[in-house]
Amino acid sequence: MGGLEDGLPPSKRLRSSSAGSSSVLSGSTAEEQPIAAALFRDSMAQILQCQGQEETIGSRGLIKRIEFVRLISDALYALGYKRSGACLEEESGIPLHSADVSLLMQYVLEGNWDEGASTLHKIGLEDETIIKSAKFLILEQKFLEFLEAGKTLDALMTLRTEISPLHVRTSRVHELSSCLLSRSVNQNGLSCNGSLKAKLRSEVLDELQKLLPPTVVVPERRLEHLVEQALNLQRGTCVFHNSSDWDMSLYTDHHCGRDNIPRHTSQILEGHQDEVWNLQFSHEGKYLASASTDRSAIIWEVGKYGEATLKHRLCGHQKPVSQVSWSLDDQQLLTCGAEETVRRWDVSSGKCLQIYEKAGIPVVSCAWSPDGRSIFAGFADKSICVWDLNGNELECWKGQKTLKISDLEITGNGRKIISMCRETAILLLDRETNEEKLIEEDQMITSFSLSNDSKLLLVNLLNQEIHLWTIDGDVKLLAKYKGHKRSRFLIRSCFGGLDQSFIASGSEDSQVYIWHRGSGQLVDILPGHSGAVNCVSWNPVDPHMLASASDDRTIRIWGLHEANIKPRVLQSNGTHHCNGKI
Amino acid sequence: MEYDPRLYEQIAVSDNDTHNIVLSYLIHNCFKETVESFICSTGIKKPADCLEDIDRRKRIIKFALDGNALKAIELTEQLAPDLLEKNKDLHFELLSLHFIELVRSKRCTEALEFAQKNLSPFGKVQTYVKKLEDLMALLAYEEPEKSPMFHLFSLDRRQMVAEDLNRAILAHTNQPSYSSLERLIQQTTVVDRQLNQEHGKEGQSSFSLEEFVKKKIRTSTQEFPSKGQKQDA
Repeated sequence: MGGLEDGLPPSKRLRSSSAGSSSVLSGSTAEEQPIAAALFRDSMAQILQCQGQEETIGSRGLIKRIEFVRLISDALYALGYKRSGACLEEESGIPLHSADVSLLMQYVLEGNWDEGASTLHKIGLEDETIIKSAKFLILEQKFLEFLEAGKTLDALMTLRTEISPLHVRTSRVHELSSCLLSRSVNQNGLSCNGSLKAKLRSEVLDELQKLLPPTVVVPERRLEHLVEQALNLQRGTCVFHNSSDWDMSLYTDHHCGRDNIPRHTSQILEGHQDEVWNLQFSHEGKYLASASTDRSAIIWEVGKYGEATLKHRLCGHQKPVSQVSWSLDDQQLLTCGAEETVRRWDVSSGKCLQIYEKAGIPVVSCAWSPDGRSIFAGFADKSICVWDLNGNELECWKGQKTLKISDLEITGNGRKIISMCRETAILLLDRETNEEKLIEEDQMITSFSLSNDSKLLLVNLLNQEIHLWTIDGDVKLLAKYKGHKRSRFLIRSCFGGLDQSFIASGSEDSQVYIWHRGSGQLVDILPGHSGAVNCVSWNPVDPHMLASASDDRTIRIWGLHEANIKPRVLQSNGTHHCNGKI
Repeated sequence: MEYDPRLYEQIAVSDNDTHNIVLSYLIHNCFKETVESFICSTGIKKPADCLEDIDRRKRIIKFALDGNALKAIELTEQLAPDLLEKNKDLHFELLSLHFIELVRSKRCTEALEFAQKNLSPFGKVQTYVKKLEDLMALLAYEEPEKSPMFHLFSLDRRQMVAEDLNRAILAHTNQPSYSSLERLIQQTTVVDRQLNQEHGKEGQSSFSLEEFVKKKIRTSTQEFPSKGQKQDA
């Protein structure tokens, strides 16, 4: 093998060859940078060939050996394994940094600024601006260290004769000049006061490394970064991912099984005497509220092990209850009678605290304001208004702000009101600026729901698609979900699971559908109900608990384990009948 | 604005007024000998004290114009001890002048020391911070005249500072800071502009004395034939 006769170990031989190639390179212009990089690679490649090693590794020939080995060396040093790092450099014959770069680093750490600045010309940099910026960094440190040592005149000289002539970063030069004043007087307002303190030499080295191209200096911790990138990718594509990240391992590709999705009926709740239209878990996941055509709403309590029991039956509405809304503290519940009134209930006692209505105009939707001090309602006359808790009207928006059958949502910061203003459009009304944004669809919209962070909106359409929109900032369509059936009735969908990474929806074929939000993939279909599933709600606190409401008058709780169930009538403990009169 | 020139002819201008205007101009600009001859020629009353003051003021301003700010400051302190204290901006400008001179004559170390001693106390006040930064930036260059801060060396700047000093001293000795002539021209310009604006004329042309005087030479009958007709004002 040529080149080994001189008996020197490969690393020594390498130093001279890299020094040789750098001196060839230092005279060329900026345009030749790609050529310089190629020359560096070629010189390395020659060395590898001399040693009989292949240039690329890996099954697809995508990984260059030189780069790979340098990354590993850098990782070893970053982990603190200095001897291993040095050993690798020697054994592979591939240095992490060329000898001149190592010298440069040494000079910087020693504070040998002049030598450091001149070494910059020897490390194979072609771009003049990079050389100048690097020099500036080094000389700036020289200046600041002079200042700290009280050598103002030396600092002045450095500034005038060395830094200024570089003609880069003029405003910084002026700042440094101002720093000359601050030596004795500490309290003046000159801008350099913050940056008067010289950085640590290691910090200067870090900044220098970021400035230099990766062929000269490998980016710090690059291998770690690449591995994390791979893990993130795996996590993103795992459509069943519904548990914490601790399970991720480097040994195998991350792949959750279906067993993290709540897909088994763990309970059937039979409290209603007619179709159940709507249901929602409370914010802390301790209660579930359901609304039915039997003109009542039920508050169910979720026990420690996820078992739900009937807590209160709320009677009083004269029409089917179409909506429920939890206050932020879960202490109160709003129910809305379809084209009737809004009632406010106390959760612990089950008593009706107040009835809200507007003379002659039926209410069609209701929602709590996030501060718990007022109530929003949509009316049959297409207006929206706000009541305080005593029933006094605070604000009103007239005009086509809402439709007959519709949802009403308020964003978490209380700023935006979301409602349907036309059959194919949803209105986002900003209460502070009165700005109106629209989500427009081609098809008729049947219902929508808001994510926990108020940034996403899920919209159910007539044509059996569910669309995901982002409403934070620009309004944009993000994804579409298909597969469920909807032809005649109002079906609702919701967000759920870990980080709200899933979408669940009811369907007219009596099944519950679950999709992975990120990929749009249909993850599971849950059979069990014997009637159309109108609404689903995922427990915000337990990613493994899902509830569905159906025309078959039952509510099903879905979990991770098959439960032993026969449909039986659940005994409620102390049914609280409220006759609606306050 | 075109007015009937006969309107002007109806206004009487007293000799006293004109003499005072000229005198005020001469005093403001320190033309001592001219003041003396003028007083002799016209016989007007000599203003009290002013001649001595003129001499002293003249010296101070000359030093400032020559760039010898330290001497100017010294003499000002003698003439009016708390003037500079009351006019911090002016004081700063004068000190800056000295600093700039030091930089110009390449005495950078001295300049730095001067700045540290005399200029940095001003840095405690926010309004001076930017000016200080600009001044200090001069030190960063071996050829400051070619730096982005070259405008600090201009003669105009020195003249402005000298003029400010002049006004401050005049104010201090209870004399008007502006000569009557200046005031009159300013007044005419403002009025002219205002009228032009009200009549919808575009542009803010400044009042030109030369043109105004030239216009008056034309005879009145040429443009304004019928007597007694009111001009469309």
